[in-house]
Amino acid sequence: MAYHGDMGETAVRGAGLVMTLTYAALVGWLYARQPATIAEITGGLSAAVGAYHVDRDAFDNGLRYFRNDQFVEARAALERADPARRDPRTQFYIGYSYYRQGWGRLYSDDTLYRQGLEAAERARTLAPEERFVADDPSQHIHTADELAAELESGLRREPADFNPLRILRERK
Amino acid sequence: MTVAREAIYLPALCLTVTLIGGLRPGGPTVLPPPSLFSLVLAVLLLGVLIQSGALAPRRLLDASRSSLQNLNGVVLLGTVFLAAAQTFSLLTPESGLPRVLFGIYFLVLLVSTWAAASDRIRVLRSLAVTFGAAFILKFIVLDALSEPTAGRLGRVLQLLLEGVTLGAVTQAVQHPASGYLAFFTLVLFLLALALLPARAGGSSSAQGMVVRDY
Repeated sequence: MAYHGDMGETAVRGAGLVMTLTYAALVGWLYARQPATIAEITGGLSAAVGAYHVDRDAFDNGLRYFRNDQFVEARAALERADPARRDPRTQFYIGYSYYRQGWGRLYSDDTLYRQGLEAAERARTLAPEERFVADDPSQHIHTADELAAELESGLRREPADFNPLRILRERK
Repeated sequence: MTVAREAIYLPALCLTVTLIGGLRPGGPTVLPPPSLFSLVLAVLLLGVLIQSGALAPRRLLDASRSSLQNLNGVVLLGTVFLAAAQTFSLLTPESGLPRVLFGIYFLVLLVSTWAAASDRIRVLRSLAVTFGAAFILKFIVLDALSEPTAGRLGRVLQLLLEGVTLGAVTQAVQHPASGYLAFFTLVLFLLALALLPARAGGSSSAQGMVVRDY
C-alpha cells in the first residue's frame, strides 16, 4: 500500500496509534483481571461501560433455593445470574451458600469453605469502598467481612476446635 | 516498509503474540505475566536483532522523523519487546531443573549469536531453530515425560525417571490446547521478526564498519 499525501500518512499513523493503544489497554486489562471464561471477559468489558446487568429472575431463584437449604441448586442459579462474577450481592450469596453447605457441628468442609472465601473476597472487592452489606434480617451474616471472617475461622486450626461444647453452636 | 505495516500490522501482530503467548488454559493463573528473566532475554534479543540488522532502530526513531512517526516507532519497539518477553516465557518450562536449563540455553545462544555478529538472514534462521527446538523439548518431549501414562511399563519408566532426577524434571500436565497455542504464537512471532524494518542490506555491524572505512 503506498501513501502519496502527507494527510493520508498522518491519518494511517494516527489510526494505527489509537488502535494499538486500545489493543494494548485491552491486553493489559486482561492481564490485570485474569478472566477465566469468555463470560467474564464480556461481562467485565460491559461493566466497564456500565452495561452489565444481573439476571434478576435467576438471582431470585438462587435466593429461594438458598433459603430452602438447596445450596448446589442455589449456586447454579446464582452463577447463571452473574456469569461474569461482577455483582457483589450475588457473589456474597454464593459465598454464603458454600459456608452453609460446608458447616458442620463437629467439623467444617475445608474445600467448600475455601471456595466460599474466594466468593466472599470477590463480593468485598466488587462492593463500593470494599464494604458489602446484605439487607436481609432473616440471616445471621450481613456483610462480606463477617462472612469472610467466619470462613477464615472455620479454615483455621485452633485449640477451640477440640472444645466439646462446639456441638452446641448454631449455623449462621 | 509501508506506513501501515509500521503503525498497524506489526504492533497488532506483536500484541497478539503477547496475548496468546501468555494464555495458560486450565492453569491456576490464566494469563501469567512474563518472568523477570524473560525480560532480560527480550532485551538481549533486541540487541541481537539490532546488531544483525534485522531491526534498524533508526528507521523507527530519528531526529528527521516527525513526532507522530517517532511515536509509532516507540510503540512498535515496545510491542516487539513485550512479544519477545512473552515468547521466552512461553517456551520456558514452569518449574524445576528444565526451567533453569532452558534459561541457560536461551542466554548462551543469544550471547553467542551476538558475539558471532551474524547477518539478518542467519540470525532469523538461528532464532527459528532455537525457538523450534525449545518448542519441541517443552511441548513434546517434556510433556510426554510428565504425562500420566496408562500402561504399566510407562508408569515404571516414569517412576524411574522421577527417582533418578529426584522429581526435578517432570512438569505439571498441560492443557491439550497449550501446544497448539504455543505453535501458533511462535509462528506469529517469527513472522513479526521477519517483517521488522531491517537495515539497508541487512549486513552485520562489523561488515558495516568495513564499508564505512572505505
